[in-house]
Order: sequence, then C-alpha cells, then structure tokens
Amino acid sequence: MPSICFYFQVHQPYRIKKFSFFEISPDLYYFDGYKNSSIIKKVAEKCYLPTNNLILNLIDKYQGKFKVAYSITGVAFEQFAQFAPEVIESFKALAQTGCVEFLGETYYHSLAVLYDEEEFINQVLRHRLLIQSEFNQTPQVFRNTELIYDDRIGYLIAGLGYTAILAEGVEQVLGGASPNYIYQAPASCVKLLLKNYGYSDDIAFRFSNHKWKDFPLTPEKFASWLQRYTNEVQTINLFMDYETFGEHQWAETGIFNFLRELPEKVLSHPAWQFKTPSETIRDYNAVAEISFKHTTSWADAERDLSAWQGNRMQKKALKAIYSLKNQVYATQNHWIIETYKKLQTSDHFYYMSNKFKADGDVHAYFSPFDSPFDAFIYYMNVLKDFKTQVIRENY
Amino acid sequence: MKVLMLGWEYPPHIAGGLGVACEGLTKALAQLGVEITFVVPKLMGDENAPHMNLRDACGKKYKRRRQKRIKTFEIPVALAPYLTEESFDDLVGELDLPETRRLLNKNFFPKFTRSELDKFLASLTLAKRAQILLGAGYNAQVYEQVALFADLVFEIAKEEEFDIVHAHDWMTFPAGIAVAQAAGVPLITHVHSLEYDRSGPGINPRIDAIEKAGTGFATAICAVSEHTRQVVQKQHCLPLSKIFTVHNGNLSKKVTKFHKDKAKWTGPVVLFLGRVTLQKGPATFLYAAQKVIAYLPDTIFVMAGTGDLLPSMKQLAKDLGISSNLIFPGFVKGRALEEILSIANLYVMPSISEPFGLSALEAVDFETPALISKQSGVGEVLNHALKFDYWKIQTLADYIINGLLHPEMCQDMIDGAKLELKKLTWQAAAKKVLKIYQHVCGVQHA
Repeated sequence: MPSICFYFQVHQPYRIKKFSFFEISPDLYYFDGYKNSSIIKKVAEKCYLPTNNLILNLIDKYQGKFKVAYSITGVAFEQFAQFAPEVIESFKALAQTGCVEFLGETYYHSLAVLYDEEEFINQVLRHRLLIQSEFNQTPQVFRNTELIYDDRIGYLIAGLGYTAILAEGVEQVLGGASPNYIYQAPASCVKLLLKNYGYSDDIAFRFSNHKWKDFPLTPEKFASWLQRYTNEVQTINLFMDYETFGEHQWAETGIFNFLRELPEKVLSHPAWQFKTPSETIRDYNAVAEISFKHTTSWADAERDLSAWQGNRMQKKALKAIYSLKNQVYATQNHWIIETYKKLQTSDHFYYMSNKFKADGDVHAYFSPFDSPFDAFIYYMNVLKDFKTQVIRENY
Repeated sequence: MKVLMLGWEYPPHIAGGLGVACEGLTKALAQLGVEITFVVPKLMGDENAPHMNLRDACGKKYKRRRQKRIKTFEIPVALAPYLTEESFDDLVGELDLPETRRLLNKNFFPKFTRSELDKFLASLTLAKRAQILLGAGYNAQVYEQVALFADLVFEIAKEEEFDIVHAHDWMTFPAGIAVAQAAGVPLITHVHSLEYDRSGPGINPRIDAIEKAGTGFATAICAVSEHTRQVVQKQHCLPLSKIFTVHNGNLSKKVTKFHKDKAKWTGPVVLFLGRVTLQKGPATFLYAAQKVIAYLPDTIFVMAGTGDLLPSMKQLAKDLGISSNLIFPGFVKGRALEEILSIANLYVMPSISEPFGLSALEAVDFETPALISKQSGVGEVLNHALKFDYWKIQTLADYIINGLLHPEMCQDMIDGAKLELKKLTWQAAAKKVLKIYQHVCGVQHA
C-alpha cells in the first residue's frame, strides 16, 4: 500500500534593509519593515490564504483521506501575527482537522547546527514551544533548515526526541537506492524520509515551464507517473516550498487546479493513500540503514552547503555572526538577543551567493538586493553597528 | 559575404581601444567566412592582418598581403589621433561654433529625414558632400582629414566589390555614407562611443551632427552596450529596432603584477583612471574620498589622467581638506599604468555615461575589483562588480570602505569576474554582427 507524503515549507525571513556604513542605530532597527510587511501581505493574498483554503476544502471533501504536513518557521509566524493574522487563523483551522501535521525545525530558520550546537538546540526547543502553544501539537518529525542533513545532525535530533528527519534524496549518497523507502539513520533510532526531488521539482519548478517536454503537467499525468510504482515503493515524498502555490507558480499557470484535482486522481487507484510524515514512519519499516557522511541540502544543483557557504563573503559573514555569541548573551538584553537570532536566518547568507549561472537566477529571484555584494556589504554594515551596540550594552 | 570596413586605426599603431576592437572583430568575422576589405587612413607596414584585406586609403599604394582574405589599403591622411584629451581640447579650441550652428540650422540637420538627406546629398559634389556632413570643416584639421578620408575611400570603393559597408565611429561615417550611397549597399555604423559620452553638455555640435547623419543614414547600428544603444536612441531619435547591442570581446591579456612597495604606499590605494572631465565623474570620486578618509585615514586616492577639470579637482581636494590623501600623477601609460593598476586595491569608475568602459575589465586583469556607475556599459557583462548610481556619493563611499575592510569580498569579485571575462569572446560578437549583416541584406533585397 504505497502513499504520498506532502510536506510544505512556510518561511519568510526578516530581510535587512540597505543599512549604510555611516548609519548608527541604537534601537537595532536593521530590518526593512516596509518590504517585509508588503511581501507578507502579498504572499498571504496570493498563496497562504487561497492555498490553505483549498487544502481545507480537500480535507473536508475526502474525509480524512487527504493529508499534508507543514513546517512553519518562527520568524514567518511572528510576521504573520504582525502583518497578516488571518494566515495564522487559517493554519489553526487546518490543525483542527487532524489531517495536518506540523514539523519541527529551528525557530529562526538558521544554520546554527553547523556552527553552534547549543544555539541550535535552543532554537529547536523554542520552535517546539511555538507549535505546541499555537497548534496544540508536539512535533514528532524534524525538518532542518533547507533540508540540511548529515549523520551528526541525525544523532542530535534523536537526542531531542524526534522520531524521524527529512532529507534530500541525493543520488551520490543513495548510490542507486531509491528515495521512495524509509531508511534508518546510523547509530540512532531516527528514521529518514527522503525527498523525491524529481517529482517534487516537477511541481515546484517545472510546472509552468513551456520548454519542458512534459508540459503541461496535468493531475492525470502526474498520478499515472506515480502509479507506475504501485508495487515497488513505500512512499513518494513530495517536499516543496509552500509558496509554490500561487507565488512561484502563479494562479494563472493552473497550479491551484492541479492541486485541487490531484487527490482524486491519486485516490482513484485503490492502493494509493496520502499520509503525513508521522504516519509514514509508523506504517512502514525501514528497509536499510543509510549513512550521510557529507552534509547535504535541497538547495542548488550541488545539493550541499555551497548555497550558504560557497564563497569567502559567506564564510566571513557566518563566522562574524556566530563569534558574537558570548558577548550577545552577556548583555542579557532580550532585544539584543532576539536581533542576534534574526540575523542568523539562512536567507541572509543565501543572498550573498555569487553563483551567477543557472542557480544564480534562483538566488537573485529571492534576494531583496541588487547583487550578492550588496547583500554582504549591508549585512556587514549591520553587524558592525550591532557589535557596537552590544559592546555599549556590556560596558 | 563581402564587407568594406572602415576604421581609423589598426594595431599595433593605436591611440584608443578602437583599433584593438577592430582587430578582434575582423578576425572572428573572417573565421565565419566573411571577406573583409578594411581601410584605414595610414598603414605603417608592420600590421599583421592575414585574415582580411587591410589597406590604407591611398588607392595606388595598396599592398596585397599574402593570404586569402586580406588586402591592405593605405590612405595618406595625416591622422589626428582618436580623440585623446589633448587633441580634444585642441579641437574645441579650433571650433567656429556660431558658424557651425548657422550652417547646421540652414541645412538639413534639425529636420533630418532619410529622403531629405538622399536628395540633398545627390545634389552635391563629393567634396561638398563630405564638407556638409562634417558641418563644414573650416579650420579644424581633423575635419579636413575626415573629409579627405571620405574622398579617398570613395575612390578605393570603385575598385572593390562589397555587399555591405561597415563604418566604425564618427571619423569614418562620412566616408561610409558616401560609399554606401554610391554603391547602393546597406551601411552599418558601429558606435564605440558617442560625442554625448565623451563631452556631455559640452558637446561638439559638428561631431554630434556627423554622428546623427551616420546613425540616421545607416540601415543598422551596432552599439557596444545596451547603455550606448539607449543613448543613441535618445540622442538621435532613432527606433531601437535598428540599433543592436554587440558587446566587445574580451581583450584581457597576461599581465605582470607589481607588488606594493611598502615604503612608497603606506595605505590602501583607490584609483580613478581616465580623462578628468565632467562625464567621468571625478568630483564624485573626491566627495566619496572625503567620507572614506574620515573612517580610514590611511587611504590613498589616486586620480590619474588629465583633462579640463583637473585644476578644479585639485582645488576641490584642497577645499575638502583631503589633499594629503590624494595623488594627481597626470596622464599615466605603459609601465607606470600597469604599476598603478596592480597596486590599487579598488578601481573606481564613476562615469555619468560610459559607452563601455574597457578599463574596468583591464583592472580585473590586474586583480583589482571594479566599482562602476550603473550608467556604464561594462556593467552589462560584468556581474562581479560593485555598481552604484553615479550621483550616490554615500553608496560609493560605503562600497569603498567595505571593499577595503573585506579583502574576502574583493577576492570573490576577482575570481568571478575572471570567469565572466572568459565567456566574453569576439566569436560571440562576430556571430551577432554576421546576423545583422544577413538581416540588412535581406532587408535591402526585399
């Protein structure tokens, strides 16, 4: 009995503003309030509200047979609360259906696991509290920032009580094994759910690409592709950014119709079901142990860490922020500590990538800056001022 | 496809970047099977152009070089150099502005149309035609030479067979127009720079008029950047549909990098290089320098070049109280140029309008990252540069400070820029030009 496991990532960073070297900001006013609020409102209108509504209708229509999972970052949640509270209400409505699972991750969508394990655990627990208090669920399955994963991270996550973790189905690691099964992480009880990036990206990236040989992608076509594997797989994991619906793929592309009709086409075959990540690992046994010696992610063609630490600028900026930790905590100033964490969001470093080729377009699409150099310069200007304020506070 | 190409210089005897560009373009075009007869005013005899027929404008003296697609033509015109700052100043001095304006107004330029131009030109003798196009070349020697070049090319053209005339920059436009019209073939004018870019508000109306005629008469125009394409469109009221962007190929060469002499250079060096004229934005450089020096007082700012604004820039440096951080070495070339380019930590090009800005790419060869105005064509092919609007002094100062504080960023810029330069080939430029040739021939025959 194979199943489909949908997981959608919901994230919006606190974008920093073009903060000049000559600026001094004692109130730590580093974020572009106007840009952040207008993006939240725009994406809420184009994606979060209509898609939540559609998912709710589908859950209603199929009476428990259609299920999805979300991972909502703390920084996105805060901004919804501030600029589009109706989005939170609609997620709460979804939570009450019992067909929606919320995953755990770092509150700040950070790369802390790579630099500071203590900080990482702190942020994970903070996120767990948020999900518990807002959605009345305790996350069982973990999704690290941008699906960054290796054996060490699996081990850490096991220690935090999660039963499974999501990772990219990277071919080099799988070595011919299929991503469509449950695997076991080595030396821990954590199970692995691997993204089937071929099918996921068909929806997330290629859906509206007229040059793609399979364009247009219809629900029938997609369901028939999956159903070819009926007797061969446990689960097809479709992991993607939630903004795929209505934002990356506009409503005009027909993405909403696709989503609306897909469950019917999938469920028309009696063997197929939808399961949440927790149900998936509950219902299937791991077929093998698989070891991720090198760190992988779902970003760029390389599917490694090069999207955030591929060049000298990124390394310098990351080193600079994580080296401030002791000074920052010494202030015991809530506002300073909060700002410190918001500055850790991975997006800031993603914008500094200077891969101008194929993936460069993706970096540029998301970046609020004209160039990776601007992203670096304004970030470093912010850090310079932030450091001054921290020193002043500690003085 | 046979092309009669008109240029003003050819390596190794060059005053500007035009000759180098012509060499790169013609070599790549020859590879694509285009037969080129290239006419320059004067050949020195040591030019090496086996890929085409290179000749100077003196018909009787042309020498046929060994090889298939090359003839050399020499035109004995005592050439005024390609507008270097010195010759430019001379020209401005020689201009009879009121007289030129009178002639221009009386003639066709203000209400210029293609048919009017054709009719008007047909009624004139060749010499007169060249003169009119030159805005009546009274005393200015350079205009006489341009006119003489046109006459001589016209004679040469009678012996040559060609499908297209391709003229580079304003000095060859009158010749191009005359020949193309007489032979009834399409004219392509190639704009490497415009009078507007060189002089801004102090525009030379005669040259501007020649450019207007050259671009107006042309069947198609090649512009060295999208920026130049837009300026041509705006300055000469032409449809964008007949202007095509053809970025120059990569001219980067192996360079010897000098090392910073600690005794001589006590701090980081920020370089401005070029004519010290309004269009190059020297004042922006100084105002930004003042802001930088407040934070990084060791920084040395070098303003290399001469021009009409040099004295006032020296005065401005004094007024801003930053004279001790500034060096004005004048016009630098050769070894001194290479030295300053390799020693500089940052290269700044704050031009108000820059058709291409090749020097930013040269700086990359010397591993010096470029800070360029968004109004520069080179930015279209160089992603790994810091780009600012030329009026944003604080942004420039911010960039300079960060460039000096973060050598990691500079290294990322250099590494990336070098990769980008590799992709910038003359083959790509030639392919575009060939497409334009095919396009205009189609248009002409249709």
